[in-house]
Amino acid sequence: MVLAWAARLAAPARRQRRVVLLARLDARATPLLFVAPFFVLFAVFGVFPLAYTAWISLHDWQLVNGDQGFVGLANYAALFTDPHFYNALGNTVSMLVLATVPQLFAGLGIAALLNRPLRTAVFWRAGVLLPNAVSVVAVTLVFAQLFGRDFGVANWVLDQLGVPPVDWQANRLAAHLAVAATVTWRWTGYNALLYLAAMQSVDQELYEAAELDGASRWRAFWAVTVPAIRPTIGFTAFSATVGGLQLFVEPQLFDVSGLGGIGGTDRQFQTITMYLYEKGFGVFDAGYAAAIAWVLALLCGGCVLVGLGLVRRLARRGRL
Amino acid sequence: MTRGLLHRAATALAVVLPLALLTGCAGGDNAKTTLTVATYGEFGYEPLFAEYEATHPGIEVKSRVTDFDSHHRGLATQLAAGHGAADVVAVEEQYLPLFRQSADKFVNLAEFGALDLRGQWVPWKWEQGVTDGGRVVLGLGTDMGGLAMCYRRDLFARANLPTDRAEVAALWPTWEDFARVADRFSAAVTDAKFADSAGTIYAAILNQAEENYFAKSDDSFSADRNPNVRRAFDIAGGIGAKGQTARVTTYTQPWTVAIKQGAFATIACPAWLLKQIEDAGGAENAGKWDVTTVPGNAGNQGGSFLTLPRQGAHHREAYDLAAWLTAPAQQKRLFLRDGILPSQPAVYQDPDVVGSTNAYFSNAPVGQIFARSADTLRPNYRGLRDAEVRPKFGQALGRVEEGKQTLEQAWAQALQQASDAVR
Amino acid sequence: MSGVRQTTRPVRSTRSTRPARRAPSAAPARRGPGVLVYALLVAVVVVSVFPLYWAVVVASRDGSAIGERVPPLVPGGHLLDNLRELVDTVDLWLALGNSLIVAGTVMVSNVVLATLAGFAFARLRFPGRNSLFLVVVGTAMMPTQLGVIPLYLVVGDLGWYGRLEAVIVPGLVSAFSVFWMRQACEEAVPVELVEAARSDGCSLPRTVWHVVVPLVRPQAAVLGMLSFLAAWNDFFWPLIVLDPNDTPTVQVALSRLASGYYTDYALLLTGVSVAAVPVVVLFLLLARHIVSGILRGAVRG
Repeated sequence: MVLAWAARLAAPARRQRRVVLLARLDARATPLLFVAPFFVLFAVFGVFPLAYTAWISLHDWQLVNGDQGFVGLANYAALFTDPHFYNALGNTVSMLVLATVPQLFAGLGIAALLNRPLRTAVFWRAGVLLPNAVSVVAVTLVFAQLFGRDFGVANWVLDQLGVPPVDWQANRLAAHLAVAATVTWRWTGYNALLYLAAMQSVDQELYEAAELDGASRWRAFWAVTVPAIRPTIGFTAFSATVGGLQLFVEPQLFDVSGLGGIGGTDRQFQTITMYLYEKGFGVFDAGYAAAIAWVLALLCGGCVLVGLGLVRRLARRGRL
Repeated sequence: MTRGLLHRAATALAVVLPLALLTGCAGGDNAKTTLTVATYGEFGYEPLFAEYEATHPGIEVKSRVTDFDSHHRGLATQLAAGHGAADVVAVEEQYLPLFRQSADKFVNLAEFGALDLRGQWVPWKWEQGVTDGGRVVLGLGTDMGGLAMCYRRDLFARANLPTDRAEVAALWPTWEDFARVADRFSAAVTDAKFADSAGTIYAAILNQAEENYFAKSDDSFSADRNPNVRRAFDIAGGIGAKGQTARVTTYTQPWTVAIKQGAFATIACPAWLLKQIEDAGGAENAGKWDVTTVPGNAGNQGGSFLTLPRQGAHHREAYDLAAWLTAPAQQKRLFLRDGILPSQPAVYQDPDVVGSTNAYFSNAPVGQIFARSADTLRPNYRGLRDAEVRPKFGQALGRVEEGKQTLEQAWAQALQQASDAVR
Repeated sequence: MSGVRQTTRPVRSTRSTRPARRAPSAAPARRGPGVLVYALLVAVVVVSVFPLYWAVVVASRDGSAIGERVPPLVPGGHLLDNLRELVDTVDLWLALGNSLIVAGTVMVSNVVLATLAGFAFARLRFPGRNSLFLVVVGTAMMPTQLGVIPLYLVVGDLGWYGRLEAVIVPGLVSAFSVFWMRQACEEAVPVELVEAARSDGCSLPRTVWHVVVPLVRPQAAVLGMLSFLAAWNDFFWPLIVLDPNDTPTVQVALSRLASGYYTDYALLLTGVSVAAVPVVVLFLLLARHIVSGILRGAVRG
C-alpha cells in the first residue's frame, strides 16, 4: 500500500480544486479533532476536580461538613512546618529510588529476553504481566507471608545464612526495602512490556550493521536498542517517577492496620499519598489533604523536570 | 462520537456475553417506595427484608453490601456531596465519633419517637448512638461485641496455671492481676507469648473507664489528667515492654498464623472474634481454646448502628424499617440463625441466648459470658474528636512493643501528638 | 516541561536522516535463544505467577490453609465447594459481565482515542500543539485520591450514580495513554511515511488507518492490555459510585467477601482467582499482537 503511494508521489499531482480545499481542511481541522476527545473528557472530568481541590485547599474544609471558612494559604503554611509531611516526603523519595531504579533496569533486561525469537512467546509475555493482573488482596497476603517477622520466608532465608531475623515493619530501612521489593515485583513486567513493544519497532538493519561490525549482543543492546527506544525509556521513567511519588497501595497494605494505618507505629514508611489519605479520609481534614495534593503535584512536576535535565546531560555524554 | 463509540463497543461486548447477565436491571415500580439499606459485611438482613416487604406492601427494600472501609468512606463521600447515600446506613462503633461531628447530616431519630425505644438497649449502647446531651439520636443499635477472654488450655497447663475457666477467671479479677499472670506464664513458657498485642489489652482496659480522652462534662481533652488512660497505658505497655505479647494484629495473615501455631495464650475476644479464631485455628486446635470472663468483668468491642442520612427521601418509612430491624424480636432471630450478638438485655438474657455454648471453645457457655460482660459495662464517654486522638496511643504501644521507645517516651510522644491534633 | 519535547527531538532527526530500510527477508537467520535465556525467563515467570498460583492453592483448600507456618504449595480438593459458595454469596456472573463491559469499553476507547491524539501530537502541526501537550503531561501528575469528591459531584449531576457510565466515561482516555501513544509514534512512525501518504492526497483518518496503525500495533496492543487491566482492577472509585447489587464489577463483588468482622480467606481467594481468569485470557489473546509492524522496510524506492 505504502509502495503504491510512494510510486504515485512521483507523478505530478493534478487535482481538482475541491479536493485541495478538503485536504486543507483536513490538515487544519483533523488534528484538533484527533485530540478533542481527550480534552473534552478532561474538561468534564478533570478540570473541575482539579480546580475544586485547589479551592478546598484554601479553606478550613471538613470532609463531610464542608466549608468552615476561608483561610488563604494557612493550610500550605502549616504543611511546610509539619514534621510528618517531611517525614513522608523522605520516605517517599527513599522508596522511589529503591524501587524505580531496579524496576526500570530489570524491565529493560526482561524486555531484551522477550525480544528474542522465543518459542511460545505469547506465554512468556503474558506471564511477566501477571503481577499486575492479580488483585492486591492476594499480593498483600503473599507479601505478608514473605516479610513476616516470625514466620516469614525472608527471615527464614536470613536465618539459613546466619543473619538474625529482621522486624520488617518496625525497622525503617527494612520496611522501605520490603515495600520497594513489592513495587518492583508488581511493576517490572509492566515496564518490560512497554519496552518490548518499543523494541519491536527498532530497525532490524541496525542490528545487522552492528553484527557486521562484530559487536556483541550486549554491545548492540546498548548501542542500538537503547538509543532507538529512548522516547519509551523517557515515558517509563516519567510514569515510574510520578507513580513512585504517588505511591500508595503497596505501603498502605504493608501496614498491618490496613487503610487505617499510618505506615508503621512511628510513620516509618508513610508516603505522601498515605499522609494525604490519613488527613482526608482518616480525620476528614479535606482542606489540609487538598493542600497536600497540590504540593504533591508540584513536586511531581519538579522531579520530572530535574529527571529530564539529568537524562539530557547523560545523553550529551553519550551514555544513553 | 464518543457516545457512539462507547455504545458500539458496549453492544459488541454485550453480544459476546450470555444474555442472562443483562437481566439484572431493576425496573422501577412507581407505586412502591424503595428503601435502600447499606451495610458492610453480612448483617443477616436478607430474609428479614423479604419478610418486611411481605408485611408492608408499599415498601421495597434493596440492600447494598461492601467491605468495612469502602462502606464508611463511601458514606463520607455521599454525605459530603449531598446525595447518593442509602436510606438506612449502618455505621460501626469506631466510625461513629467521626460522623457524630456531622450530626446535622443525619436525621435526628428523636423526631420520630426514638426516645421512647431507649429502654430496649443496654444503656452504654444507647449512649453511643446519641449526641448533644442525648437530645439527638443518630442511630439505633444493632449488634454488640461483648468482651470475654479467650485462652489456650494447653498453654496454661504447660505454665502450671489452672485451666478450668472459673479458676482462670479467679486468677485475674483486675488487670493488675492479669499482668501478674503474664509474668508467671512467661517465666514458665518461652516458646509462646502470653497475649496477642498490647493494643488489644489497652482497648479492653480503657473501655471499662467511664471517660477516656475527653471529659464528659465539657468535652475538653483530658488524657493528660485522666488517671484511667495512664493506668491502661501502663498495664498494657508494661506487658508489651516485657516482650510478653506476640505483636500481631487481628485480621492479618501473621495473626492467623499465630493462632494456628498457638503462638499466644490469651486474647481479649469480642463475641464476633470466635468464628475467626475457629477458622484460623482449624480442626487441629479444636478444644484447645476456652473462654472465660475478662478482668474487670465488663467490656464491649465493636457493634453497629442504623442511621438515616438526612438527604434520603423517605425518612418516616426508613425510620420504621430501621426500628423494626433493631427490634428485640428481630435481634433474637438474628442471633439464633447467624449468631449475631444482640445489644438488648431482653434478648441477650433470653434463655436461648444465655444457654448457648461453643463446641470449638471447649463448650464454653459463651452466651452467659458475653451477656454478663455487656450487662456490667457502663456507658463510656467518647469525645467528638476521639477518632483523631485514639490511634496515637495504639501506635505508641506498638513502638513500646517494638523496643523503639520506653513506656515513658512513648507516652510523652502520644500525649504530644494527641494534644497537637485537637489544638 | 519543555524538556519533554527537547529530549525527543534528537530521535526525530535521526529518523529523518536514516537510510532507506531493507525488507526483513534480507536479514541473516538469527540464532535461536539458548538455554540461559529460557532459564532466566522461567525464573521471572515463576516469581510473577507465584501469588496467583498461591491464591488458587488457598482457594482449593479450606479456610485454615492460610494459617500454615509453611504456606501450602499443592492444591487441595475444595475448589468446587468454594466456587459453589462464591456463586451463592455474590452475583458473580453479573459482576463478571459488568467488568467485561467496563474494561472492554475502556480498553477499546483508550487505544483508539490515544492513538489518534498521540499521532496528532507526535506528527502533525496544529495551533496550540505544545501547550495542549503540556496539559496532558500535567494531568498525569495530579494525585487522584482527593479528586473523588468533586468527581462524585460531576457524575451525580449527570445522573450516573450506580450506573456503569460512571466508571466507563471518566476512563475513556487517560493522559498516560495519550502520552504513551505519542512516544510510540515518535519512535515507530517515520516522518517521511506520513508525508508520503499526505502528499499523495490521503486524508488524515486514512493515513492513520493505513500507515500509523500497522506501525504502532505492538504499542497499541500493550496499551490495550494495560488499559483493560487498570479498569478491571480499579476498586477505589467503583466502590464509591457503583451499586453493589445492581451494577457490581468484579472488584466490588470481591469487596463484599472481605468485609465485616470475619474474613473467609478461602472464599476471598477463590474470588481473586476467578477474577484473574478473564485478564489472563485477554493477555494471551493480545500478547501475540506485540509484533513488529508488517510494513517495516517498505519505503524503498
